[in-house]
Formats: sequence, structure tokens, C-alpha cells
Amino acid sequence: MSAPSAPVPAVPGVPGVAGNAAIQLIALVVMLAAWEVAVRALDVSPGKLPPPSAVFATMWSGRVALAGAVGTTLYEALLGLAAGIVFGVLSGISFSRFRLLERMLLPYFVASQAVPIIAFGAIIVMWFGNGVASKAVIATYLSFFPVAVNTLTGIRRVNPEEVGLLRTFGAGTMEILWKLQLPTALPSIFTAVRLAVGLAMVGAIVGEWFGASQGLGVVLLTAMFDNHVEQLWAGILLTGVTGTALFAAVVLLQRKFVWWHADG
Amino acid sequence: MTPKIRLQNISKRFAVGSNVVPAVENVNLSLNSGDFVTLVGPSGCGKSTLFNILVGLLAPDSGGELHIDGKLVAADHLLGRVAFMPQRDMLMPWRTVLDNAILAAEIDGVPRAAARKRALDSLDRFGLRGFENHHPAQLSGGMRQRVALMRTFMFDRDVMLLDEPFGALDALTRAMMQRWLLEVWEGAKRTVLFITHDIDEAIFLGDRVLVMSARPGHIKMELPVPLPRPRAPDIITSAPFVELKRTLLAAVEDESRKAFAAMNREILPDPADA
Ligand SMILES: Nc1ncnc2c1ncn2[C@@H]1O[C@H](COP(=O)(O)OP(=O)(O)O)[C@@H](O)[C@H]1O
Ligand SMILES: [Mg+2]
Repeated sequence: MSAPSAPVPAVPGVPGVAGNAAIQLIALVVMLAAWEVAVRALDVSPGKLPPPSAVFATMWSGRVALAGAVGTTLYEALLGLAAGIVFGVLSGISFSRFRLLERMLLPYFVASQAVPIIAFGAIIVMWFGNGVASKAVIATYLSFFPVAVNTLTGIRRVNPEEVGLLRTFGAGTMEILWKLQLPTALPSIFTAVRLAVGLAMVGAIVGEWFGASQGLGVVLLTAMFDNHVEQLWAGILLTGVTGTALFAAVVLLQRKFVWWHADG
Repeated sequence: MTPKIRLQNISKRFAVGSNVVPAVENVNLSLNSGDFVTLVGPSGCGKSTLFNILVGLLAPDSGGELHIDGKLVAADHLLGRVAFMPQRDMLMPWRTVLDNAILAAEIDGVPRAAARKRALDSLDRFGLRGFENHHPAQLSGGMRQRVALMRTFMFDRDVMLLDEPFGALDALTRAMMQRWLLEVWEGAKRTVLFITHDIDEAIFLGDRVLVMSARPGHIKMELPVPLPRPRAPDIITSAPFVELKRTLLAAVEDESRKAFAAMNREILPDPADA
């Protein structure tokens, strides 16, 4: 037997991420510069599109309040996302186990997603109050669905022969779930979570529109009513940055936990 | 001596659409404790089906009987009682070599740390020393097969069923693995039933060779292999070996021809049917 001189595959190291981040940062700076130059050169009225320098100035002067807004919205979104993932994974597992349950409930899950959240956001705020809870509920409502569906399809993709092998080892239902089905479904669960991150942000912000005292949604709404365009753009940029940061965190977790699976 | 496992008139039919396909029919066979029995037969004759019955995953049709140590048992009684190595290695890509090797033992209730320690001690025997922390994707086919075998051996059961474990390996690796398997088996005396479609392999490894007929499969011939052990690699050119091979080739050829003809009938519809 030869010595351990094996080929090296894609194991945790996360190569190339730093390089990509640098390239993307350069692209961002170029885009902002182009925006600044275009606004000045074409003499766009600041009421239509302010230059980024003005937006950043607004951000800087309101930094404490804005940081608080980001924190609030992030907290609501994360809370909703976490609940959505738990509820989604549990539903997916239940559906995979009980076909009848899937046939009974999945159509309603699908239908629930066809009703725009705008249609009953007000009700949820009435039920869960003006605080964090109602926003988290809306974020959960939006984010659980892709997770449920991908958990189900991920578990369905498990090779029945592999289930059989574990049964010959004497494995029970829970052991098969834990040692085989969930790990196999993990890549597709993560794919859903990437999607759910954006949905949870939307849920938190929309929830804030129906009544809140803090958060990015409040920043956007008040800026709109006050016709404060720089503040509006500040809110938009911060929402984008927060969502992107959340997404990047999920991608990093995915690389760490499902490194054996090619796409990611 | 009471056989370890005895099958009596075991049959299995599958419903395929509106048809009923008999996969195995009236299989009778006994495995004695410590036997190394090899099973050859044309592909599609029902070997894997028979194994799935023997490990408790598939219930045979009514009328057949399964006996373990002389006792009549229900099909699912066998689940968790026989160490099974399926045709594909089915290693888990997220587990290291070591953790794949202990999977069956772990499910069997051996604490992880104890199982790992036992596995570390047997790495040399399975030629995996130095690879314990590698992942399956980093291994060659032969090594993956050894990990799967190690997993099967670490599931401490008297009876082992190996479904074409070396089927996908090149000839040289395969010859090496055969000798290695005999060494491991002689050190750990288990009852082995080994499926192969390679007649040399069947004779080289087995105390007995069973030949299965074309589908529906049944045991068509049972040939003792009176070659002394340990067996040297060049035994395959010895006169008694060649003689056994001649007998087996004739039997297997016959069945392969039938299987091939049946396959052609399925692909090219009989003109009489038109
Ligand atoms: N679950 C199943 N459903 C229907 N037909 C099956 C099933 N399993 C096996 N068969 C059929 O039974 C026959 C025997 O298959 P198998 O036992 O895999 O053969 P072998 O392992 O000898 O190649 C084949 O014709 C196969 O198509
Ligand atoms: Mg087979």
C-alpha cells in the first residue's frame, strides 16, 4: 500500500473567496464612481438621483440611528429566518414521512405563498403587535416555504438502497433520518436557505411598514413621506448591504458544512 | 451440524406494471458456520434479489422458509443480523474513511469513541493506514471497496453477504483484493456468501461454488472446491483448478446463453406475436 499521497479535493479551506471579494469590491467602487460622475456630468437633479457622496454624507450624519435600524431589521429577519428554517425542515421531514400529510397540506402551503404578504400584513400586526414578533412572523411565513419544499425533495432524492443498507445495520427511522436523509438533503436545504435569506429581509421590512417604531422599513417609509431622497437611498443601500451580508454568511456556512457537495 | 442459514423453496416474484416477473424460484441452499460459499450466475438472474431476502430487506413469497440455526424465522428477523455489503460501496461522502468504517458498528450501538479505536487498530489489516482522515472522494476504487469491506467486517456478525465486491475493479487490483480477503477471512472466521460473475474468483475464494440458473433463478449446480488453503495465486493454473473451471464454465455458459436469449426476446418482439 502506498503512503498517504492522495489527491487533494475541495475540503474546508474555502479557496478563492478572498480573491473574489477583492474583485467584487473593485467592481463596487467602479460602479459608485460611475454613478457619481454620471450624476454630476448629466446634472441630474438631486431630487431624482442624488450622488453617492451626498448619500454617504447623510448616512454618516445619521449613523447612530441608521445602525440601530439595521440592527432591528437584521434581528427581526434572523429571528424569522431561524423559525422559518426550523418550521420548513420539520414540515419537509413530516411530508417525506407521511405521504397523506403531504397530499393534505402541501397544496395549502403552495396556496399560502400565492397570497401576497401585503394582503394580510395588517392582520399579522394586529395579532402580534407593533414589536419584533409580527415582523419575525412575516419573515417566517415568507422563508419557510422554499426550505420545506427543498427538504422534502432532498430527502426524496436519497437512494432507497442506502436506506436499505442502514436498515440491515439495524438502524431505525430516526437514525436513518439523522445519519443519512438529512445529510443527503443538506445541500438542497442550503440552496433554499440562500433564497430564504432575501425573503426574510423582505418580510421584516414589509412588516415594519405595517407599523413599527424602528428598522430599515421605517427609515424607507419616513424618507419617502418626508421626500428625503438621500435618506431613501441610504435606506436602500443599507438594505442591500445587510441582505448581502446575510447571504454571504449562509454561503460561508454552506461551504463549511456541505463542502463534499460540488455546487456552493 | 445444523446449518447457520438454510433457505427452503424461496421464491420472489415482482409485479412490473401488469406483469409478474419471477426473479428467483425455489431456491434451496444452506450455509454452514465458517463456510466461504461463492455464487455465480448470469446478470439479472436474481442474485441481488436473493441477497435482499437474506438480509431481511425483501420478504420472499409465501411457501418458502428461512431457517437460522435451525429455527424458522420471519423475513424481517434477519434485519440487523447479517453483515451485508451491497454491490455499490455506498460510502457517505461527508464521513471520513474511519467514520465510514464504523458506521455499522455505530448504528449497532458501539460508542463512537470505542468504535473509532477498534477501527484505528484494524487499519493496517485493511490497507488503509494513513488514510483514516481522508474522505471517499479522495480514494481509488479499490480503497473505497476496502472501506466498505471494513465497515462490513466491523459489523460483528457471523454471516457476511458480499455482493460482487470486486466487480468494478481492474484485474490486477481484483487479484490482490481476493488474496487479501482470504487472509482477512482466515483471521476472522466468518460465514461468507460471495456473489461474483467471475468464475476464477468463485473457485479461488470458495469452499463451494453455487451456480444460479438464468431468471427465474434457482441453484442449478453446487460444486465443492477441494483445493487446500491457504491458496497460492498460481493455484489458478493447477490441473484441479482448471478441471473445476471447465465444469463451471459449461454450466454458466449454458445459463448465460439462456439469459441472453431471454433478453433478446424482450428487446426484439417475437414475430409470432405481431
Ligand atoms: N424491485 C424490483 N421490482 C421489479 N423487478 C425487480 C426488482 N428487483 C429486481 N427485479 C428484477 O428481478 C430480476 C433479478 O434482478 P437482480 O436480483 O438484481 O439480478 P442480479 O443481481 O443477478 O443481476 C431482474 O430481472 C430485475 O429486473
Ligand atoms: Mg446484482
